[in-house]
Amino acid sequence: MAAAPAGSAADGAADDAACGGSRRRWWPPWRRWRGREPLSIETLALGRRIAADLTEGLAGPRARSAARGIRRVLAADAVGLAALSGSMVWAGHPLPEAAQLIEDVMRTESVAVLPPFIAEPLQVNDELVGVLVVTSVDGTVSQPAVREVALWVAYALERGRLESSADIAAQAELRALRAEISPHFVYNALTVIASFVRSDPDRARDLMLDFADYTRYSLARHGDYTTVADEFRAIEAYLALQRAVLGERLRVQIRVAPEVLAVAVPYLVLQPLVENAIRHGIEPRPEPGLVQVHGEAVGTECVISVEDDGVGMDPELAVTLLSGHGDPNCVGLANVDRRLRSVYGPYYGLMVETAQAAGTRVIVRVPRFQPGVVAS
Amino acid sequence: MQANLYALVAVAVVALITAVIGGFGIRFARTTSDVLVAARTVNPRWNAAAISGEYLSAASFLGIAGLVLKEGADALWYPVGFTAGFLALLLFVAAPLRRSGAYSLPDFAELRLGSAEVRRVATGLVVVIGWFYLVPQLQAAGLTLSVLTGWANWIGACLIALIVITNVVFGGMRSITFMQAFQYWLKLTALAVPVFVLLLTQASQYTNARATAGAGAPPAFTENTTVRVDTDVVLQVTEPTQLTAVGGVDGAVDVDGTVYWGVGEHEVSEGTALTFPAKSAVPVVTGAPAHNDDWLRPLYGGAGDHPLFETYSLMLATFLGTMALPHVLVRFYTNSDGRAARISTLFVLGLLGVFYVFPTVSGLLARLYVPQLLVTGRTDAAVLLLPGAVLDSWPARLLGGLVVAGAFAAFLSTSSGLMVGVAGVLSTDVLHGRAKDFRLAALLAGLVPMAMAVTIPPIDIARAVGLAFAVAASSFCPLLVLGIWWRNLTDAGAVAGLIIGGGVSVAAVFGTLLGLAPGGWVGSVLGHPAAITVPLTFLTMVVVSKVTPKRVPSDVARVLARLHAPERLGLTPGPNPNRTGTVRRPADQDAVNRAGRHRR
Repeated sequence: MAAAPAGSAADGAADDAACGGSRRRWWPPWRRWRGREPLSIETLALGRRIAADLTEGLAGPRARSAARGIRRVLAADAVGLAALSGSMVWAGHPLPEAAQLIEDVMRTESVAVLPPFIAEPLQVNDELVGVLVVTSVDGTVSQPAVREVALWVAYALERGRLESSADIAAQAELRALRAEISPHFVYNALTVIASFVRSDPDRARDLMLDFADYTRYSLARHGDYTTVADEFRAIEAYLALQRAVLGERLRVQIRVAPEVLAVAVPYLVLQPLVENAIRHGIEPRPEPGLVQVHGEAVGTECVISVEDDGVGMDPELAVTLLSGHGDPNCVGLANVDRRLRSVYGPYYGLMVETAQAAGTRVIVRVPRFQPGVVAS
Repeated sequence: MQANLYALVAVAVVALITAVIGGFGIRFARTTSDVLVAARTVNPRWNAAAISGEYLSAASFLGIAGLVLKEGADALWYPVGFTAGFLALLLFVAAPLRRSGAYSLPDFAELRLGSAEVRRVATGLVVVIGWFYLVPQLQAAGLTLSVLTGWANWIGACLIALIVITNVVFGGMRSITFMQAFQYWLKLTALAVPVFVLLLTQASQYTNARATAGAGAPPAFTENTTVRVDTDVVLQVTEPTQLTAVGGVDGAVDVDGTVYWGVGEHEVSEGTALTFPAKSAVPVVTGAPAHNDDWLRPLYGGAGDHPLFETYSLMLATFLGTMALPHVLVRFYTNSDGRAARISTLFVLGLLGVFYVFPTVSGLLARLYVPQLLVTGRTDAAVLLLPGAVLDSWPARLLGGLVVAGAFAAFLSTSSGLMVGVAGVLSTDVLHGRAKDFRLAALLAGLVPMAMAVTIPPIDIARAVGLAFAVAASSFCPLLVLGIWWRNLTDAGAVAGLIIGGGVSVAAVFGTLLGLAPGGWVGSVLGHPAAITVPLTFLTMVVVSKVTPKRVPSDVARVLARLHAPERLGLTPGPNPNRTGTVRRPADQDAVNRAGRHRR
C-alpha cells in the first residue's frame, strides 16, 4: 500500500519555524551608538505589537497596551483611544478637557487641534470607529505624525475585523458542511425500510428508529463537540441501515477500546469516514466487502482507523481529495481533515493509506485531552 | 529447584494471559461480521476492578504482610490508609474530575487555571511521583526473583523494568481495562488461596499460637533454621541464645562455630550465616518490636522515635495521597460520567477492603512460620516464603507458584500503568512530542527508575510507597481539592504551593531513601513528612492566592459549573442527554427489542 500522509510532520515543522521569528538581535556596545538598524527594527516590532494588541478592537482587553505603545512611538505625554461605544483607555495622565474635543471629532469626523491636544478620527472603510487623542504639553508631537499613527491604528483595526469575520465565515462553512446528508442514501434507506414494512414489520420499525437516530445526530445543531461513544452510536445506526440496503455485500467489524469512548471529538468526524468507506469502497463493486473500525488508546492519544477492502484509489487522488481540490461534491475527507487541523493543530490531520484495488485505510488521531474541546 | 520450576511456569502463565488479553482479546471486541457492536462504555464494576488491579502494587501484595510481620499493629495503618484514600477521592474529587474531561493531572491544572506554568510544575511532579512509586516496585521484583532463583537483586529489577519498558514502547500492555480487571482477581486469588489453605491445614495449632502471640515473649523458631544475612544488621536479643555462626559477628571477622549471645544488641556483618536451634527466641533487627505483646500494641511497632506523629502523618499521606496518584486518575477517565466515577469508586472501596484482609493475615501467619525474616530485616519476602515454610511437597510448590504469579501481576500492572502515565506527560509536555516521541518518553520513563532502583538501597516496600503517597498528598491533593472546591485559587498560588509543598516533601523523601536522615524529630519528620507538608501546601496555596486576587481566572465560574453540575442538567459531558429527549419510545418494550437485535 502506498501512503499519502496528509498531516505530515513537515507541515508542523514549517509552522513552528514561522511562529518563532520575534527574536531581537543583540548588538555589541560599540555598534549601538550608530543606532541605525536596531532603531528601525525596534520600531517595527513596536508597530507589530500595537497592531496585535488592536486585533480585538478599541474596546478589547489589550487596548491599553496598544495606547502605551503609541505613546512610546510618538514620545507623547499621554495617548488616549476612544471607541464609539464610549469606552476610553489612556496611557499616561489623562486631562479632563480632552472629553469635549473627542465629542467634536466624533461629530465632525475630522482632525481637531487644541493645544496640548491633537485628536485624530479613526476610520475603517470610511466609517468612524473611534478617536485617537495625543497630549503633548511642549508641542513636540506634530500633526502629520499623529495622522500617520492614526492611519496605522485604523489599518490594524481593519485587519482585526477581517480576521474575525474570516473566522466566523470559516465556522459557518464548517457547520454547513457538517449537515450534509447524501440524498442517495436517504432514498435507499427509505426504500429498504418500505420493503420490510409488510414482510418484517419489527425490522422495519427498528430501521425506522435507526433512521431517526441517524438524521437527528447528523442534523443536530447543538455544540461543536461530542464523545467518541456518541459518534459510534451514530455510526451503528448508519451501518444498520446500510446493512439493510446492501445485505450480504457489507460486513462490518467494530472494535473500540473502552478507554477512548469518553474522548471528546468534533461532531461527525468519524461518521463521514465510514460513509466514505461504504460509498466509495464497497458500493461501486459487486463483491462483498468488509469495513473495519478500530479505536484504541496510544499513549495520550486516541487512534481510530476506518478501513475497507474495497476498490481503493490512486494515492495521487487521495492527496488531491485531502487538499480539497477534488470533485466539489465529494468534500467529506477534506472537510474532516480541515476540521481536525483547525481544532487540534496541523499535526492531527487525517492519514490516508490507499492504492488501486487495495482498499483504503483512513486514520484519525486526536489527543485525549485538548483544552477547550469538551463534549456537549 | 523443583519449586522454582512451578514459580517460573506461573510467571510465564501470567505473562501469557496478560499478552493474550491485552494483545488479541478483549478490547471490548465482539468481532463477528454480522454483529453490530455497541460501543458501550465500561460498566463501573469492571472499571472498579481495573482501578483496583492497577492500584494494588507490590506494596500491597508483598509490602504490607512484611510490615505486619515486623511492626505489628502499627503497620495496619498502611492497608487502612491505602483503602481510605479512595473515600477521600470519592468525596472530593471523583465526579468533578471526571466531568472536567481532564486526562492527566497537568491537564486538570491547565483546564482549571489556564496557566502553562502550573502545567509545567504539575508535569514535573507527576514524573517525580511516578518514579518514586516505580522504584519500590522494581526493587520488589528484584527481591522476588532473588528469593526464587538466588540471583542478585539488581538483576530482577532490571529484568522487570526492561519487560515493562519493552511492552510500553512496542504498544503491548496499554492500559487496557479488562487486563487490569483480570489482574485484580488474579492478585486476590494468589493471596487468598494460600491463606485459606494455611488456615485450614494448620487449624489445630492455633490455640497454641494464640497463647504465644499474646505473651510477652519474642517470636520463636519452629525448627532448626539457618539464616543468611545479606546486609550488615544490628540485632536485638531479648533472651540468651546459643547459635552457630559462620562469618562476622560482633566485630570478630572469621567466626565459625557456636556463639553465645546475651541480652542486648549484636552486630552481624554481610554474608554471615546464622543457625538457630528450634524453639529459640528470634532476634529482631533494631527498631522493630522484639516482644509479641509490643508487636500487638499500637504505637510500639514503628521504627521512629515519635510513633504518634508518624502515625498521623502516615494517615494524612495515604488518605490524601491516593487522589493524586497519576495512574489512578487516568483510570477514572474511562468512566462514562461523574456518576459512574462515583459508583466505581464505591466498588473500589469494597474490592480493596476485601483484598487487604489477606496480606494482614499473611503477616500474622508469617510471624508464626517464617520469623527468620526478622533477623535479616527483609520481611517483604514473607508472603513468598510462607507456603514453603508451612507445607511440604507439591501443595507448597503449587501455592508458591500461585503467590509468585500474583506478585508478578502486581509488578506488571502497576509498573506499566505508572510508566504509561509518566511517559504520557513526558511526551506531551517535555519532549513537545507526538506519538513518535512516546516511545522515547517511555524509554526515559522506565530507565530512570531502573537506575534509581539499582542504586538506592531498598527500604520496606510499603514504606517506600508511603513516601510517594506523601509527595502526592503534599502537592496534587491541595491542587485538586482547592481547584475543585475553592473559586479563589490562582495560578500563582498553585505554583507556589506545588513548588514549596512538593519540593519539601521530595527533599524529605530523598533524605530518607538515601539514609541521610538522623534520628529524633528530624528523622521522624523526614520519614513521614505529610503531617507537616500537607498543611504547608494548603496554607501556601491559600495565602498566595489571597495575595494575588487579580489572577483568579476569568472563566472560573464556567469551569466550576462544569465540574459540579450533574450531567442530567445537560451542562456537562456525559452520555448524550438528548438521547433520552426528543424521541419518545415505549421504554421497556423498546429496550428488549434493541437488545435482542444487537445480540443477534
